[in-house]
This record gives sequence, C-alpha cells and structure tokens, in this order.
Amino acid sequence: MKVEVKKVHCVFSWSWHIPKNAGTIESGLGEDAIGDIHGMVHEDDEEDVCGICRASFNRTCPNCKFPGDGCPLVIGECQHNFHVHCIYEWLDTSTSRGLCPMCRQLFQLKKGVSINDSHIERFRELAIKRQQEQNEFESNLDDDAAIARAIAEQEDTGRNVDNQGDIIMDQDLVVR
Amino acid sequence: MSSLPKRIIKETERLVSDPVPGITAEPHDDNLRYFEVTIEGPQQSPYENGVFDLELFLPDDYPMEAPKVRFLTKIYHPNIDRLGRICLDVLKTNWSPALQIRTVLLSIQALLASPNPNDPLANDVAEDWIKDESSAIDKAKQWTQLYAQPKK
Repeated sequence: MKVEVKKVHCVFSWSWHIPKNAGTIESGLGEDAIGDIHGMVHEDDEEDVCGICRASFNRTCPNCKFPGDGCPLVIGECQHNFHVHCIYEWLDTSTSRGLCPMCRQLFQLKKGVSINDSHIERFRELAIKRQQEQNEFESNLDDDAAIARAIAEQEDTGRNVDNQGDIIMDQDLVVR
Repeated sequence: MSSLPKRIIKETERLVSDPVPGITAEPHDDNLRYFEVTIEGPQQSPYENGVFDLELFLPDDYPMEAPKVRFLTKIYHPNIDRLGRICLDVLKTNWSPALQIRTVLLSIQALLASPNPNDPLANDVAEDWIKDESSAIDKAKQWTQLYAQPKK
C-alpha cells in the first residue's frame, strides 16, 4: 500500500503550567513532569481562574486581546496566582494596602519562579509606595492620638490618670 | 457606554440562576451596572419578616473599587443612617476584588443579624442601642412592621 500525503494540518494547544505547589516542584525534573500532569488534570478547576477578573488564566484579563505571553500570570509568595495586569491594577490602588485579594497577606512575587522574573522590579516599586502611604496613615493616627491627649488633659485635669490610661491604650492600638 | 466586563455578566447570570437564599438582585434594563436588591430580615433578628429594598451600583472601576450599596427602605439600625448609607468594612477599607456582589449582600444580611453600636454610623440610633438595648430592638421591630412589609 502506498500512501500519498497531500496536505498536513498542524494543530496545537497550550495551557499555562500552574503547579499545585510552585515552591517544591521547581527542584527536580521528574517532579516537574508530575506538575505538568496535574496542570492538565485540573484544567477546569476553580483554581485556574484569576481571582480578580474570574477569567481563565489561559484567556486574557479584560484589557488584553492576546493570551499567553501577551497577558501572563504571576505567582504570589502566598501561592495565589493572577493575571499580572489584574494584580498590578489592584496593588496600584491605595485601598489595596499592598494586600493579596484572596488572603489579605502582603502580596509579594514568589522568588525563583522564572515567570515572575520580569515583573519583580515593578512590583517592588509598588510595594514601597503602598508602604509609604501606610506609614503616613499611621503617623497621622499618632498625631490624632496626641491631639486627643492634649484636649483630654485640658478638659479634665481631675481625672488625668484615668484619661492618660485610656490614651496610652489607644496608642498601643495604633502601634500595632 | 463601554461594553460590560465579562466578570459582571458572569456574576449577574449566577445571581439569577443560583440566587442566595433571602436575597434577590436584578439588573436594571437601562443600566446593567445598577441592581435592584431585596434582602429578607434574618430570623431571630429585629428585622425578621421584613423585606428591605436596596440599590446597588457597580462603579466603572469595579472590581478594583467596591460596589456602592444603599438601603431604600427605612430601617432602624446603628450602622445604617437615615439616608440608607451602610457602615460596613468590606464596602470601604476592607474591599477586595476577590469579593463579589453576592458576598457583599451576604455581609449586609449578616450586619442585620448583628448590629454593632460600637462602630456607629447613625449616632442617635447607636446611643439608644447602648443605653437601652431592648427598647431599641422594639423600635427596630416596629419600623420593620411599618416600612419593610413585602409588596403583594
């Protein structure tokens, strides 16, 4: 039998490799392969959806047209993943206070993960900005506490000790 | 008007197909970012048997910014003022884009079940609440009877 190939159609598919535990799998090749299989199995899992825009990681954030390298992911130290554009937009708001939307821990890019490498500098700059805002906010609270103490002392010298006791407690709260 | 983000479409579909018990939310025909909401008063709260109307609006920056929610039905509650504005952390400083319309409405329902007079928005109500809790609760029940009756 003779087969003549007239036309060949190439078909391929791709999917982000999102290891269950990005930290431990990076170490060995064998484990990496297992991670790949897991990634395939859990393709339609809730976990493979960006927690901010709720679109699949294999699709784009709301502002992009081309998935993949055009709209990549980043992996957080807290193991929460997002489209880089989604999490950057969130961390760029003051409301975010630099926190992960999922677990409210300080959001940091996981180190030693190649997908994060090109974003580390930008995210560090944002984190510094948020930290400065937070410091300002806290020093304002300190000022408020000082004013409150001054007023309390003026108004009520008789119960000074009690008032001061209260104010010292307030300050403790601020420091924390 | 720019097209509606996919996330909002998904959330709306799920609110209709898989509604939260005791809560309804329907988008307005003219503006799909504006929702007419009803919340049933939680059982064993002063708002039991009441049905409260609210409005919810998704700002342009949603989900980076929290939804704007307001009570339309008059309610006697230390954390809700006479304009219907709600004092709730997740609507302000503790907003996160991982939250959704449904989780916000659930939080409001929970606020009805546990009023917090120590973090008041309606100062007069909160004062009443701290001074004489049982008479404040009676008044909340009366207002529920008066203003929050389900429309037939």
